[in-house]
Amino acid sequence: MITAFVVFTIAAIGTYAIRLSGVFLLGGDRELPPRVRKALSLVAPAAMAAIVANSLLLNEGEWRAFGAWHLAALVAVGVALWKRSMGWTLAAGVVAFAALLLAGL
Amino acid sequence: MTPDPADAAGGPDHRDPAAPSPQPRAFARIGHAQWADFWAGTKAIAPLMPGSAVFGLAVGALINLAGWPAWLGPYASATVSAGASQIAIIDALTQGAPAIIAIVTALVINARLALYSASLAPVFAAFPTRWKLLLAYLMTDQSAAVSVITADKWPDPVRRRWFIFGVSGPFTGVWILGTAAGAILGPVIPSEWQIGFIVPLMFIAVLVPALRTLPAVAATGISVAVVLLLKDLPYGLNVLAGALAGIGLASFIPDRADAGAGTAPGSPEEVAE
Repeated sequence: MITAFVVFTIAAIGTYAIRLSGVFLLGGDRELPPRVRKALSLVAPAAMAAIVANSLLLNEGEWRAFGAWHLAALVAVGVALWKRSMGWTLAAGVVAFAALLLAGL
Repeated sequence: MTPDPADAAGGPDHRDPAAPSPQPRAFARIGHAQWADFWAGTKAIAPLMPGSAVFGLAVGALINLAGWPAWLGPYASATVSAGASQIAIIDALTQGAPAIIAIVTALVINARLALYSASLAPVFAAFPTRWKLLLAYLMTDQSAAVSVITADKWPDPVRRRWFIFGVSGPFTGVWILGTAAGAILGPVIPSEWQIGFIVPLMFIAVLVPALRTLPAVAATGISVAVVLLLKDLPYGLNVLAGALAGIGLASFIPDRADAGAGTAPGSPEEVAE
């Protein structure tokens, strides 16, 4: 518990420094170099994909048995590509997952 | 917080028809016009608030599953205030990872905030330092996106900072309250509901609709592949390795639309869509 508290606190300080970085170092005519901007633009997709893969396809380091998780996630990805909307994707994923659990998968 | 004299005057700009005329009446020493601008900001981000609350619930429930005291949930949400990294920390520590690995993973995931900070630099440029410190603290993916998109409608810096405070303050508040609720309700939620599914679902909902450029798609694919290939690495290091590999390798792939002006890849404008 103490470890978690310390980790959250240090991560919070580091994250605040990241949040301050652009606001205080840039501004005016100074801009990010294109290479840096590009790498930073890929952090969100790469990090989110890593979390999705680790939490959906694996379960505590082992392959997750095929079932409701995979099927509901497929529904969500399909709706996300079709509607391009966060709200629709969440709703479709929750409904599909609930239906699959109720169906006993 | 003490408002500037300029705040009390409502600022020089009256182009927005929605804004009331400045009034001497004040609440908590903050003028009526400032609250109106604040409220306009809150309304602008309101559609995204339910998602934030639900995500907060899920993160709070995870705190509970980890066996930690409930207050750590809202504490983390009020300080780190970035859900993906909070989940990564919980995951790493519950897998027995050393603290340093949990911290590095979280900071790599949060490096994206540097991009938002850079995008907001011109928007914040005219603000006093204490406002920059406050608004940077409250910066999230969603509030940065809304702020960057709508900043042009608020040419007056005094009114703009109240508007952005209204965008980011209540949104972070909802996030903290959601986490607190999740941490408290965690034990009540039946395990058959498998609430953990909200984690991949939430990130699919944020990630997939915004996947438009070739490098972003490549980063996603590389990251997933590396996470799965390295699944036997201890301490959740496969997540860190996957994210770094995705960022590093995909940044060599050229954008097809490089020549075009307009939205930069991964900019907050794009994330908001």
